[in-house]
Amino acid sequence: MKPQLTLQTPLELPSEEISNYLNKLWISEGEDNAGANTFSLIVWQPSWLEQRLVKSNLINGPITGNLSEEVIKAAKSLILKNGLPLATSLHSKDLFDLIEVDIQDNSSEDLRGQFFEASISTLNPRRLITLAPTFSNNSDIKTFVSAYCPLNEENKDQTICGDLVVVRGSANSILEKGLDIVDELSINDLPAWLWWNSSLDDCPEILDYFTKNDKRLIIDTANGSLKRCIDILCNALSLEKSINDLNWLRLKSWRESLAMIFDPPSRRNLLDQISQVDVDIEGDHIIQALFLISWISAKLGWIFLKTYYKYDSLIIKFKKDNEEQVSTAINPLPVGNPSIHSGQVIGLRLISSISNDPKKNTCIILGSESAECMRLEAGGMADMHLIEEVVPSSFLSSEADVSKLLSSSRGSTSPLFEEAIKIASTIYKSINY
Amino acid sequence: MQSSISNPLRIGLRQERVIPPQCLVIFGASGDLTHRKLIPALFELFLQRRIPSEFAIVGCARRPWSDQEFKDKLSIKLANKISKNPNEWNQFLKYLFYEPVDLQQELQVERLAKRLTKIDKLQATHGNKTFYLSVSPNFYGSGCKALKKAGLLEDTVKSRVVIEKPFGRDYSSAKKLNKIVQSCADESQIYRIDHYLGKETVQNILVLRFANTIFEPIWNRNYISNIQITSSETVGVEDRAGYYETSGALRDMLQNHLTQMLAVISMEPPGRFDPEAIRNEKAKVLQATKLADEEEPWRCCIRGQYQEGGNIVNPLRGYREEPGVDPNSTTETYIATKVFIDNWRWQGVPFYLRTGKRLPKRLGEIVLTFKDVPVHLFDSTIINPAPNQLIIRIQPNEGATFKFEVKSPGSGMRSRPVEMEFSYDESFGEPSDEGYVRLLADSMLGDPTLFTRSDEVEAAWKLYTPLIELMENAPWKLPIHKYESKTWGPSESDQLLSRDNFFWRRP
Repeated sequence: MKPQLTLQTPLELPSEEISNYLNKLWISEGEDNAGANTFSLIVWQPSWLEQRLVKSNLINGPITGNLSEEVIKAAKSLILKNGLPLATSLHSKDLFDLIEVDIQDNSSEDLRGQFFEASISTLNPRRLITLAPTFSNNSDIKTFVSAYCPLNEENKDQTICGDLVVVRGSANSILEKGLDIVDELSINDLPAWLWWNSSLDDCPEILDYFTKNDKRLIIDTANGSLKRCIDILCNALSLEKSINDLNWLRLKSWRESLAMIFDPPSRRNLLDQISQVDVDIEGDHIIQALFLISWISAKLGWIFLKTYYKYDSLIIKFKKDNEEQVSTAINPLPVGNPSIHSGQVIGLRLISSISNDPKKNTCIILGSESAECMRLEAGGMADMHLIEEVVPSSFLSSEADVSKLLSSSRGSTSPLFEEAIKIASTIYKSINY
Repeated sequence: MQSSISNPLRIGLRQERVIPPQCLVIFGASGDLTHRKLIPALFELFLQRRIPSEFAIVGCARRPWSDQEFKDKLSIKLANKISKNPNEWNQFLKYLFYEPVDLQQELQVERLAKRLTKIDKLQATHGNKTFYLSVSPNFYGSGCKALKKAGLLEDTVKSRVVIEKPFGRDYSSAKKLNKIVQSCADESQIYRIDHYLGKETVQNILVLRFANTIFEPIWNRNYISNIQITSSETVGVEDRAGYYETSGALRDMLQNHLTQMLAVISMEPPGRFDPEAIRNEKAKVLQATKLADEEEPWRCCIRGQYQEGGNIVNPLRGYREEPGVDPNSTTETYIATKVFIDNWRWQGVPFYLRTGKRLPKRLGEIVLTFKDVPVHLFDSTIINPAPNQLIIRIQPNEGATFKFEVKSPGSGMRSRPVEMEFSYDESFGEPSDEGYVRLLADSMLGDPTLFTRSDEVEAAWKLYTPLIELMENAPWKLPIHKYESKTWGPSESDQLLSRDNFFWRRP
């Protein structure tokens, strides 16, 4: 279990008293303890899977809001038992439907909002607001509040404190009343982030509300239908709204590793000769692979032509400056032990064809493990000059990804991501399902 | 490092830290360093989009220039550098201001304080100020006092002072200066600059040592027989005779740049990558460093001075014939010394440091020579197998070479040395930033990792105190040996190593 942030149980207060209570709390602490001058983090934390598993007695409570090993294990065993594809998302309706059947009225303690990874709490968010929707359709809003002071290992003398607020109730009551509470508790002058820790298909009215206001959005396109993911991203771009995607963040090691291959000037000419790109992914959620291909095409100045399906693979054709075509493919693969994040890239192959000297044809393979490299070597690739790298997979928890983002991002949408979204959305529109 | 066409996939991947709103005040703005290094480095940061829009550079010097005159003079002096980016330079000029100030005149400093308040509001720099003392070292102490008196260093978080080398002339003056500076500002506000630490390759030593498992186990007295640190220049004293006559190679190069390289190459691994953790380890190793013979220091140090050289077509003047140099000068233009580090890791391993002007090549390098194999099983194409060497090139052609023995082709079993090569140019093909670019950015970001702390500076001066005392009190014991221009220093310097059965690497 993640460390508990608060030493005391948060105090239940009527929502209209919270603002006053917090103001008094910080004033009474004196000038030196005015609270961290950092940022606010609002988390949409439905934890539908955990709530279901606890309610149906498949795991023990309390509900903490964390995707723990126990939750993952229980979900994977259900997937296996019921013959769902192994890469089934932990946010998928199919999985939820399996559990819903067994839901009993097993009320368990709900501690959402009190447990965060140390990597987030040591960034000293000034205010953590957790929106914790419950199953019951008519449960009214309850609000809880507490102060916290994370211990900083590196600087034990300096405790910088923040406060946390939990807004619990049905999704409807959060939509009707909870969002006003969030607005009221916003701290002017401090940046505020909204982390949508759920599927992007979940409660669209609430997510759309946040897309339109001034919060910096953190989403994860590994969770959600392709259409919804693309819509949200395009909408954010058109509204000039800053948006950060954990699924794009997880591509970083692939982008870095691929760039590294072409750092030596002697290899740069291979970039002009690329004729084929293959991206292997876990399961069939293609958005991360779309981002990767879009980023490569943006950097190399390729122009999108068309898409079509060949068996399970999505083929995307581009045109280069010299009118030559590049064929790229996204290949969904069944894998034995998929990541908790759907559709992760596990292999990338680029083929540079030197038409006047085929002996110099080069195959560049990046694989998440040696077996994937071997798979991509098949089909005569080994005849070419091979450059291979194993890209270490870093399937961190979403909280760890968020912490990385918060500590490194300037808040605005990454220009590289923006470019990739535009191309990915053009490609998406041409896909004929 | 040569630049070449950029790697398109690399564009935008490097996430640089953004400098917060800032007012950089440069004292000595009419001087050489400002237009040769500081402004070009700031312009480079601007081109890299790392300068925030809330930014100001306030040049200060005694000359009664206006803002516009300051801008015009810089535009003329930097004409070559800005010719590629004239539009960007015009945008950059908007950040530039000038205020005539004599740091010794209280009223003028007060007037500066008022001007800075106005500029702070105008440019929205949020009260963040970095004062860069690019003035004569004689004014470091009084300059800090003047800033303190005008209340400009009061905010220990938002105000900083950057001080150029040399920091003191010897141990006692450095200690005294530290005391003065620390009475004006908190140690966390003081940034003592050593531009060698801004070099990519010096920083790479930390990565080479602490991001690889293969080096650290052999990075000690059990495997290494000696370490050589060389920084050589091909140029003579040029137009710096006034300064150089009072400093010499020891104060100009050995005490700071070479000693910092010694600290980085020999320090213990820090517990974490954190400014204080790194500076603690550097200070500790410098405090454990001693001259090889403290009782008779003349045995472990060679001083030299360049003589005329060159050829008929391109004759080179000797040091004493240079303009502004005393014809009887005993200032050293070359120094080589041998030190030991008294700790478990380095006990008994000699470190040889040398630096000089008018040597055959301009270079900086660190050479780790490993111990001989215990038994020579094979014949060598030369007399004995050459010991393994790891050569870290600081400049030019930044990179590293590892020398080791392989079987020489043929029917016999004879070994010969070969080299394994890493070159920044070949691996990355991107030019690395000038040291000042990195250090100016770090100082404005409030990251002191690459700046020297008071205890480091004092330990470095203390190390050479026996030599400085000897030079001042009994110079005949540490005579100046002559060497021909464009040779590798006096022959006595070779003897410093040959006594230990070693020899300088001829790069």
